[in-house]
Amino acid sequence: MVIFGQAPPDARRAGIGLRAPHYREIAGRRPALGFLEVHSENYFADGGPAMAWLERLRADYPVSLHGVGLGIGSCDALDIAHLERLKRLADRIEPALVSEHVCWGAIDGRHLNELLPLPYTEESLAHVAARVREVQDYLGRPILVENVSTYFEFAASDIAEWDFVAELARRAGCGVLLDVNNIWVNSVNHGFDPNRYLEAIDGRTVGEIHLAGFETTPERLIDTHGAPVSADVWRLYEAAIARFGAKPTLIEWDTDIPALDVLLVEASKADAILVHHDAPARRAASAG
Amino acid sequence: MGELAKLQSAFARALVTDDLAAFAPGVRGDAVRAERHLAIYRNSVFANWTKALAATYPVVERLVGGSFFGEAARQYAIAHPSHSGDLNALGGGFAGFLAGYVHAKDLPYLPDVARLEWACHESEMAADGEGLDFAALAQVPPGEQAGIRFRLQPAARIVESDYPILALWEANQEERDGTPDRFEGPDRVLVWREEGGARLELLDGGDARFLQALTRALPLGEALDGVPEGWNAGERLRHFAARAVISGFATDRA
Repeated sequence: MVIFGQAPPDARRAGIGLRAPHYREIAGRRPALGFLEVHSENYFADGGPAMAWLERLRADYPVSLHGVGLGIGSCDALDIAHLERLKRLADRIEPALVSEHVCWGAIDGRHLNELLPLPYTEESLAHVAARVREVQDYLGRPILVENVSTYFEFAASDIAEWDFVAELARRAGCGVLLDVNNIWVNSVNHGFDPNRYLEAIDGRTVGEIHLAGFETTPERLIDTHGAPVSADVWRLYEAAIARFGAKPTLIEWDTDIPALDVLLVEASKADAILVHHDAPARRAASAG
Repeated sequence: MGELAKLQSAFARALVTDDLAAFAPGVRGDAVRAERHLAIYRNSVFANWTKALAATYPVVERLVGGSFFGEAARQYAIAHPSHSGDLNALGGGFAGFLAGYVHAKDLPYLPDVARLEWACHESEMAADGEGLDFAALAQVPPGEQAGIRFRLQPAARIVESDYPILALWEANQEERDGTPDRFEGPDRVLVWREEGGARLELLDGGDARFLQALTRALPLGEALDGVPEGWNAGERLRHFAARAVISGFATDRA
């Protein structure tokens, strides 16, 4: 399976989310980053300044298109207009990676514009796998699907989340964007051993890893993307890289966006872990 | 309908109508805790909608204050279901909603300010235009000039109001204290785009009539018939062409 498009990210260097306040500084300083990731929907426009920045920066960095609005698990019909915009963007940017979430977002004609959780059942699995295949066929390329943070469990769920994600990748022929922060958040919220999650995932399907910060409330850990990566998540990330080898890794920070240097420091922490595990990963890759 | 569709339907209804108890049986574990966890989703769904509207309508938000805006955004999102997974598409009906919003009835200018902000939002995302081809324009024989149909750049929008909406817009930019320079309209505003983003410019009555005629693809002769006596067509055409507001043309022959 080909996960990467024209410009595979260097898995030894982490990337960061590209956000408008940093356009000019990144273009000027050109920091050493493996790739830049954007929310696909922010570049659905026909033209304009945001698109002009992305086209400029894609010359210097591999780009990852990360969708937050397709709602691949929705029972409403797949939004073909949305998918067409994504395809048009992918044709224009020729991204290294394209990803969506294991979630749903629209029902009865109403979009809720949030990454809503799915019950982990055979019915959901069949539905989402068919949708992922439909999206991949439309785009003419494989995608990665990301595990999401959740704040409750459905009574109807009868498959473990990690088995659901692993089986989805198998059935749909897609890759996994493994969000290590979301695994940690869910392990605390729902009380499971996060290492069990890693053990269930086939490393060959992992095309990218996300790292982010969460917020602690009395009720739940909440995935806010507004804080540094926690020590627990760094430890889990080390375990993931030790298991899967170096993978393109992204520092996500979407709310209270800090100075670029803060993101670069976070990215360099990931680099240190990636470099440490790079040699065995490359040996395995050349052997396979 | 399958179980998954039923579940999604019930979940969405519980969040939008704020009847979280109705969905609590669908959640594993204790019902009281279930409602608290469902509330996390209800809050984030409405927060996403409010944030998206506030990003498009910062001047409206500043004019009415954060809590008024938050409640208006909530009512809007309930009454006008979001039809896209792209939050940039959410606010298209907000000006119309404000026009009928009972709590905004003492702010008659508010819907027009919202229309102006929506025009800016659309302008930022519109296709890039090309510059006017002056050499080709010079080739049009004098006898055919009245038939020239000028095109506006895709990012151009004209917003007209009885109220001083541009003065209100300018007064409520970040660096200003909110006091408008003018208290009288009408304001006819051209929104257009240059490299850095959307720009706003006050038009006089002749400018507005002329540019509106171009948006209807009228030929130059007819567009000029509509403008008042004394409107300096040559100077104004050069003004708009230099900014690439007028970005192309066609002749009946071509």
